[in-house]
Amino acid sequence: MERLGAPFGSDIDRSESVSFRFEGAQVSGYRGDTIASALLANGVTTLSRSFKYHRPRGVLSMCGQDSNTLVQIGQQPNRLADRVAIEAGLDVTAQNYWGSLENDRLAHLRHFSRFMPVGFYYKAFYKPRWAWPLWAKLIRRIAGLGTVDLNTPHGYYDKQYLFSDVTVIGAGPAGMAAALRAAQAGAKVLLVDENAEIGGALAYARFDGAGELAEATHAELAAKIAAEDRIRVMTDTMCTGWYADNWLSLVKGNRLYKLRAGALVVATGCYEQPLIFHNNDLPGIMLGSAAQRLIRLYGVKPGNRAVVATANRDGYGAALDLLDAGIEVACVVDVRADPPEDDMSAALMRRHVPIVAGATLREAVPTSGGGGVRAVKIARLEGAEKAARRYDSFACDMIAMAGCYAPAAALLHQAGGRVSLADDSGAFSVHDLPAQLAAAGSVAGTNMLENVLGDGVAAGRRAADEAGFSVAATSEPPRVAEADASAWPIIGHSRGKDFVDFDEDLQVHDIENALAEGYRHIQLLKRFTTNGMGPSQGRHATLPAIRLAARRTGARLDETGSTTSRPPIGPLTMGHLAGRSFEPVRYTAMHFRHLERGARMMPAGAWMRPEYYGEARAREENIAAEAMNVRDNVGIIDVSTLGGLEVRGPDAGEFLNRMYTFAYLKQPVGRARYVLMTDAAGVIVDDGVACRLHDDHFYVTATTSGVDGVYRTMLWYNAQWRLKVDVTHVSASYAGANIAGPNCREVVQKLCDDVDLSPEAFPYMGVRRGHVAGIPALFLRVGFVGELGYELHVPASQGEALWDALMEAGADAGIRPFGVEAQRLLRLEKGHIIISQDTDGLTTPHEADMAWAISRKKPYYVGMRSVSIQEAGGLTRKLVGFEISDSDAPRPKECHLVIRGGAITGRVTSITRSPTLGKVIGLAYVAPDQAEPGTEFEIKIDGGAMVRAKTVKLPFYDADGARQEM
Amino acid sequence: MTLAPKDRTRRSFLYRELESAGAVFDELNGAAAAMSYGADAEAEAAQARSLGLCDLSALPRTGFKGWNMSAWLKAQGAEMSEASNIVTPQADGTRIARLAPGEALLLGNYRGHGPLIEKADSAWSMQEADGCFQVPRAETNFWLALSGSHVPALFAKICAVDLRPESFATHSVAQTNVARLNAIIIRADTGEVPQFDLLSDIASAVYLWRALLDAMAEFGGKPVGLAALQELN
Amino acid sequence: MKLMHCPLNGWRNIQEFTHGGEVVAEPDPNRCSDAEWAEFVFMEENKAGMVREWWCHTATAYWFIAERDTVKDEIIRTYDAGEVFKERIEFTRPEPPKEA
Repeated sequence: MERLGAPFGSDIDRSESVSFRFEGAQVSGYRGDTIASALLANGVTTLSRSFKYHRPRGVLSMCGQDSNTLVQIGQQPNRLADRVAIEAGLDVTAQNYWGSLENDRLAHLRHFSRFMPVGFYYKAFYKPRWAWPLWAKLIRRIAGLGTVDLNTPHGYYDKQYLFSDVTVIGAGPAGMAAALRAAQAGAKVLLVDENAEIGGALAYARFDGAGELAEATHAELAAKIAAEDRIRVMTDTMCTGWYADNWLSLVKGNRLYKLRAGALVVATGCYEQPLIFHNNDLPGIMLGSAAQRLIRLYGVKPGNRAVVATANRDGYGAALDLLDAGIEVACVVDVRADPPEDDMSAALMRRHVPIVAGATLREAVPTSGGGGVRAVKIARLEGAEKAARRYDSFACDMIAMAGCYAPAAALLHQAGGRVSLADDSGAFSVHDLPAQLAAAGSVAGTNMLENVLGDGVAAGRRAADEAGFSVAATSEPPRVAEADASAWPIIGHSRGKDFVDFDEDLQVHDIENALAEGYRHIQLLKRFTTNGMGPSQGRHATLPAIRLAARRTGARLDETGSTTSRPPIGPLTMGHLAGRSFEPVRYTAMHFRHLERGARMMPAGAWMRPEYYGEARAREENIAAEAMNVRDNVGIIDVSTLGGLEVRGPDAGEFLNRMYTFAYLKQPVGRARYVLMTDAAGVIVDDGVACRLHDDHFYVTATTSGVDGVYRTMLWYNAQWRLKVDVTHVSASYAGANIAGPNCREVVQKLCDDVDLSPEAFPYMGVRRGHVAGIPALFLRVGFVGELGYELHVPASQGEALWDALMEAGADAGIRPFGVEAQRLLRLEKGHIIISQDTDGLTTPHEADMAWAISRKKPYYVGMRSVSIQEAGGLTRKLVGFEISDSDAPRPKECHLVIRGGAITGRVTSITRSPTLGKVIGLAYVAPDQAEPGTEFEIKIDGGAMVRAKTVKLPFYDADGARQEM
Repeated sequence: MTLAPKDRTRRSFLYRELESAGAVFDELNGAAAAMSYGADAEAEAAQARSLGLCDLSALPRTGFKGWNMSAWLKAQGAEMSEASNIVTPQADGTRIARLAPGEALLLGNYRGHGPLIEKADSAWSMQEADGCFQVPRAETNFWLALSGSHVPALFAKICAVDLRPESFATHSVAQTNVARLNAIIIRADTGEVPQFDLLSDIASAVYLWRALLDAMAEFGGKPVGLAALQELN
Repeated sequence: MKLMHCPLNGWRNIQEFTHGGEVVAEPDPNRCSDAEWAEFVFMEENKAGMVREWWCHTATAYWFIAERDTVKDEIIRTYDAGEVFKERIEFTRPEPPKEA
C-alpha cells in the first residue's frame, strides 16, 4: 500500500492499520480512511456497477455526493464508501452486479443501450398490462441498489433536541469565519459539518500559486474556533432538511437531532461539476476536488499521469496539487479561449505544464478491460457549443475535471430562497432568503477566498445581531474581484456514453430526445427522464439539464427554472426517523393485580384493561363464567379507566344543562343522572353519569377514550360562555372498582361502616360518600351490567389496597374479577349502548332510541337545534335489539350488513351469545320499518350467506330493572 | 426489617419498579418512600450529582384552581407570583408553582414538609369554595426529581422545550410534553447541581420511569433514594 | 417545525397545540333559520389571507385565539379568548306565539 508522506494525508493516522473486507478480500487501510480511500490506496478503482448499463464506476466526488460509491456494508445497503470511515471487520460488498464486480455478466447491456432510451420502461413494458408485474420483477433484479435483509436486528436509534443562538451549517472558510464572528458577539454558536474535520475546501483545495494560503488560513481559523468556548462543533453531522422557523434535522451516527437553530448561516459550499464527454464515467475520471481530497486528506495518489480539464482557476490549483503529489500532468485543458494570467497559471507554467486553451474533452479511451482510462481526446472549441472534428490525443490514466459549480443550496431552497444562474459565466447568486437566514461563501456564489471570508464575517455579525447580540460595526476587508470562470460547453457525442446523470445512466441524447418529445418544462423533463431523481439528487445532473433545456427552448437559464429540493437532503434510514419509540401506556392502580391473576390485557385508548382472566384457549368459557358469576353471585371489575371530571361552581348545573342533552338544574344532591353529549351537528359523542355531590358540584364520568375530547370541548365552550364554573380533569386521580351481582352488598358491607347500604337508604342511582376498608370512597349505585352494584371511586394511590380488600372480603362468597368482554356481554343483555361501538360519526339520539335522554324545556344544549332539525326530518335508520333464534345458524360478526332486496339497510354493531338467555343477541342499525319488535330481517355474513334475525324489544334481560334496583 | 410499600394503603404507582431496583423504604407522609438503594450513601449522593432519578410520589402536594384561586390561597397565607409558570418558595418550605392566572400547584419540600399544604387542604371545603377549587394533585400526578449535571442533556432527548440552565432559570415552570406525556417541569436547584421536578399523569408513571431510565443509560443515570436528594438540598 | 406563541406558556413548537377551527359567532339556535344553522355547523370559510382561529395548548388545555395569514403562513398574533368573549352568554327560549 503506497501512500504519500506528510503533509499529505491529514485525515489518516499512519500509526494505526485497520483491516476490513471488500468483496470477500482482506483490505488494509489507516485509521481515518474512508472505504473508498482505502480501496484506492490498494489499487481498487471500480467500486460499483452503474444502475442501467452495469458500467464500472469509481470515485467521482470523494465526498459522498454521487452514487458511484454506494456499497453494501453488512446488512446495510446503499452506504457511501467515500463517506463511511473504515473500521476493523467491516464487511463491504459492491452492489448491482451479476457474477462479480470485475466481470459483471450484465455488462453486455451496454450494447443494447440504443434500444433502452429514456421512457423505455414505460413504453416497452406497458402493454400488455398484465405482463408488467413480471417485467417489473426482472427489471428490479437487474437495476438493484443493494439487498435488504429482513432479519436485520433492530439498531438503537434515538433523537435529541438541540437549541442554539446561532447555527452555522458548513464549516468551510465562510462558516468558520461566521461562527467566530457570531461567538465574539456573545452568541452561542453551533457549527455543523458533514465531514470528519472542519475546514471545508481549506483542508484539501488550493487557493494560491504557492500553495500556502489554504493551510495557513485553516490553521488560524481552527485554532480560534478551538479556543472559543461559545462555539460547539459537530462534525460527521449531516443537515438533512430545513423546516419552518429555522428548525433543522441533523443526523450524526444513529441519532437524529432536531435543532431550533436560532439565526442561521448556511455556508454549505458548492458542488464541482463533471464534464460531459464520451466515456466520462470511467473509473479514474474524477472531479478535481476529488483528486485533491484523495491527495491531501488521505495521502492517496489517484493516478500517475493526469489530464486536467477546467473552466476556472480551480483546475489550475488541482493540477498544481497533482504535481506536488508526484503525478505527471500531461496538460491542462482550459475551455476559456483566453484564460487570465494569475498566480496559479504562472506557477503552472513555471513547472512546464502545457495549457491548452479554448479546447474541450471529447472522449476518454478506456483500457482494454474497460475499467480505467488509457487516453483522452481533446478538440478545439468552435463557438460556444461546437467542437472541431480533429482530435488531439493525450495518454493518461486519470482525468481531473473542474467544470463549473452548482450551489449546495438545498437548505436555501427549502427556506424559500431562489438561485439565479448567469447564462454564460457559470456564476450564480441567491435571493429571497427569509429573515434569520443568511447564505455565505461559495453557496452564495462567492469564490475568491478573501471574499468568502468577508462574507462569513458579515453573515456571522448579522446572525448574532438577529439573535439579539448587539454588535459594534467593524470595518470589513475590501472585496477583491471574483475569479474569472466560464460555463463548460455541453456537446453531445455521436457515440453517446456522454453521461449527464450517472445515477440513472442518462446521456445527452436522452435529455435532448425528451426535450424533442415536448418535455420542456424542467419539472416534466426531470420526471420523464428521471434526471436528478437518483441517490445523488441532481447535484451534478440538474445544472446540465437546465442548460440543455434552455438551449433547446432558447430561454435564459433563469427562465428555465429549477427543480424543487425537499428534505431529506441526504440519505436517512428508517431507524433515524423512528428513533426510540415513545408509546405511552397507562396502567391502573390494580394493573399488576390483574397480571397476577392471569388477565389477558387489551388496550383501551392508552390504557391497558383486562379483556378476561385465564387461558386464551378457553377464552369463550372464561368470559361466560365471569359473566355468570356476576349474574348469580358477585363479580368485580376495574373501572379506573373511566373518564372523570369535576364540574364546580355556582353555574355547574347550568353548565351541564348546556353541555348535555338531559336536565340537571333540579337534580337532587346525592343522585346520579345519565349524561348524553351531542356535538353541534347533533351527533352523539359521549355519555356517562353526573353525580351531584353539592349544589355547586357535579362529578361527571365520561367514556375512557372520549374524556380528553369532552374536557377540551367543555373548556372551549366556556371560553365563550364565561359561566362561573370550573372543570377539572380527574380521570386518573380516582381508581374505580365496580362490584356487582346479587351478593355484592354483603361484601361491601363487611368493609364499610359509615354508609347505610340498604336499598331504602341508598337506592339505585344514589351517590354517597364514605369509607371502604378505611379508604375514602365515592359510592355510585349505577348498573351498567344490570345487577345490584356499587361503583367505588377512591384516590388512585389507594386503588390497589381497595381491590385487595374487596377481593379478600369477597373470597368466601366466591368473588371473581371480570374483564371488559364479560362487561360488554352483560351490558348487551341489558341493551346499553357503547358510544363509538354502537354509534358512529353520524348517529343521532333518535336513531339510538335515546329521545328519553333529551330535555325539551331547556333553552339550549350543544346540538339542540340540529337534533330538532333531525327530528323533523324523520329517521333513515334505527338502532334496535335483535336475536337469532336458529341455534344452528352461523353467528354474524360486528359490521356485517343488514340487507333487504339487495340494498343495505343497516349493520350489526354488537353481537354475542348470551349465556344467560341461551341465544345469540345483538344490536344493529336497521331501516325504520324494520325496527318494530317481531320484524324479521337478514344479515349477510362472511362468504355471502344470509342469516335471519328478528327485532326484539330492549332490554333482553330484566326488563323492569328489578335486579339492578334490589 | 424495612417497611414494605404494601404495608400502607397509599402506594406509589412505581413501588414495584423501586422494589426491583433494590430500594430501601421508610415511612413518609403515610406512605413508603424509597430512601436509598443500598448502603453506600456517598456513592448514591455522587450519583445524584451526576444523574439520578428519584420517586417523590409520597411527598405532600396539592393544587387549587378557579377564578378566585389567588385571593383564596393568599388568605391562607400563601405568597404567589403574579406571572404564570413561576415558582414562589414559601417561608415554611412549601413551593407554590403558579400554573395559570387561575391555577396553582403546591409542593412540599424534599423532607416531606409542607405545612401550608396541610393547612390549605384542611381549610378548603366545597361549602365555602367561592371560586377556588381543590385539585387532587397527589392522586393526579406522580412526582419525580431528576438531579445531576447530565439532566439538561437528558431532557434534550425527551422534551422539545429548551431546558438548558442558561435558558430555563431556577423556579421556572414548563408545562409541556415529555416523551409524549403532558408534564409539568420545574427547575428546583439554585445553581450548583441541576435539579428538576417532573410531574405527570399518575397512570403513566411506570411507562415514564422506564423511558427515563432508558434515556439516562448513556449518561450512567440511575435511581437514587430520597436521602441522596435531601443531601443535595 | 413552526413556532407558536401561547399566551400562557410562551413560544412552543406547533406540535404542542391543537387547532380548533375558525372563530365564528354561533347563531341563536332558538331564532335562526335552518339554513343559517346549517351554515354555522357545516361550513368553514377557509379563507386565503387573514384568519382568526381557536387554538388549544394541549398540555394545559388552554384555549386562545390566533390570527394567522394563511397565504404567508405567518402567525400574526395570539391572545386570550377573554379579549373577544368578555360577557357571559345567555340563551332564552323563543317567546310563545301571542294569541290573537
